[in-house]
Amino acid sequence: MATVAQRISILLTLAGASLRSEFQYRANAVSAVISGMIYQLTGFIAVWIIVARFNEIGGWSLAEITFLYGMRLTSHGIFYACFSQLFEADRVMVTGEYDRYLLRPMPPLLQLFTRKLRVNCFGDLIGGLLLLGFASAGVDVAWSPQTVFYLVLAVTGGALVEGAVQIMLGSLSFRFLQTMSLRVTVNEVFNLYGNYPFTIFPKALEYLLTFALPVAFVAFFPASVVLEREDGLHVAPWLAVIAPLVGVGLFLVALRVWRRQSRHYQSSGH
Amino acid sequence: MTLARNLDALVAYGRMATRRMYIYRFNVIMMIVLTGITIYLLTLLWKAAYGDRTEVDGIPLQSMLVYLTIANLQLRFLSPEMDQDIQERIREGQIGFDLNRPVGYPGQLVAGAAGQMIGLLPMLVVAVPIAFVAGELRPPASVEEGFAYLASLVLAWLVAVQMNLLIGLVSFWTLEMTGFRMMYRLIGNFATGALIPLWFMPDLLRSIVQLLPFQAIAFVPVSIYVGEPATGGIWSALALQAFWAVVMVLVIQLVWRRAFRHTVIQGG
Repeated sequence: MATVAQRISILLTLAGASLRSEFQYRANAVSAVISGMIYQLTGFIAVWIIVARFNEIGGWSLAEITFLYGMRLTSHGIFYACFSQLFEADRVMVTGEYDRYLLRPMPPLLQLFTRKLRVNCFGDLIGGLLLLGFASAGVDVAWSPQTVFYLVLAVTGGALVEGAVQIMLGSLSFRFLQTMSLRVTVNEVFNLYGNYPFTIFPKALEYLLTFALPVAFVAFFPASVVLEREDGLHVAPWLAVIAPLVGVGLFLVALRVWRRQSRHYQSSGH
Repeated sequence: MTLARNLDALVAYGRMATRRMYIYRFNVIMMIVLTGITIYLLTLLWKAAYGDRTEVDGIPLQSMLVYLTIANLQLRFLSPEMDQDIQERIREGQIGFDLNRPVGYPGQLVAGAAGQMIGLLPMLVVAVPIAFVAGELRPPASVEEGFAYLASLVLAWLVAVQMNLLIGLVSFWTLEMTGFRMMYRLIGNFATGALIPLWFMPDLLRSIVQLLPFQAIAFVPVSIYVGEPATGGIWSALALQAFWAVVMVLVIQLVWRRAFRHTVIQGG
């Protein structure tokens, strides 16, 4: 088995290769990035129109909601950049492509991740960072190196939360093969409900989207911490602060689940 | 008349489309669940926006919630996907077979879309209870408005199908449609008024949206349903939709004639 350093270097090589292959068709790649960005920003414009018309939603100002939306979108961009191929897990298993992964001296999951890069993730990333940039000037936060550092951790942690959930759902494919619509639905729940302050949700939903499906940990919790809006939290503030750690923890659990479930893989033959 | 002669064939196309859709039964159900999830979020969002007010700009909260529920529910049933079919047929070179059939290609497609839509109707048994739980359902503002809504729904379907067909015909010129279709979808999401009804759009945006046909798909019919017809009166609202339906027929005829001449059959 390769050392960690070797593994990382192989990983970077593979990631570079998929990036290069996407940009073989430069115009197409650029238009995918731009349309991805516009797509996400239009979603935001809808929210912006509503908040601008009604001044605030659930006690959160336009700048605060923009900040939350930007954090979530940036996390989602990182998630999509690293893990978009989880959405192809069904096909990889049905066609027996997974056989090849088993033969190579790299963890199969890493090979799945680096299979192909979806360039529209850069649209999410750029869009998210733009929103964060605009909002950070408007929100009432005393920016310090610590807050910026926490923000970076939080955004990464958010990507890990989404990644963990999708890895766990993806591992169901080993048994059931067709789990695509389930994964898309869960992804949509993150996309729809992750962008708003939980203060607009009924109590039961708040808990559901915290403990049953960890949507709150992606952006709402860390955003509340950065914006010092812990007043509206439905859980103890410390739980919100450790959101990035929860991301790491969930991710490690997800890796175990994947390894466990992969024992059920039945090759379709090549 | 060719229509009468081809009717059997067209009905067969419709049946086929229904059957094809139900191969992925689970997907159909999941799409409806997803619609419920969207409706629920929009309901929470607008409830929070209204806050303590029961009425904003003359629109009561309850009408607003009924609007959102019906608009998003009906959008699920008015989302034909012919554009992808057309692109795939051209990419695989099978368009040649389609064009050789005695029934015109646009006719085949519209028949397929009709079949899909009719085939989806039994799903109302699942969709309406989900929408009822997720959002807010009330009977139409009056009996008259109820009937007007049904008429409006038919016109909405005509506009939706024709717009989708038009977008699909672009594949005759280029197969690189991903970016283009994305733009269409997001303008559509917005301009149908299913997320934000035209009442609450900023003036500039509203005046642009009012010049586009998208409003005929959601905003016009649903605003009739809740008793706040878009143009002030039921008849003028229906006339607006009918206008767009007819315009689209003419545009499609024009574009189709050119597209046909432009056909490239790849292999096949």
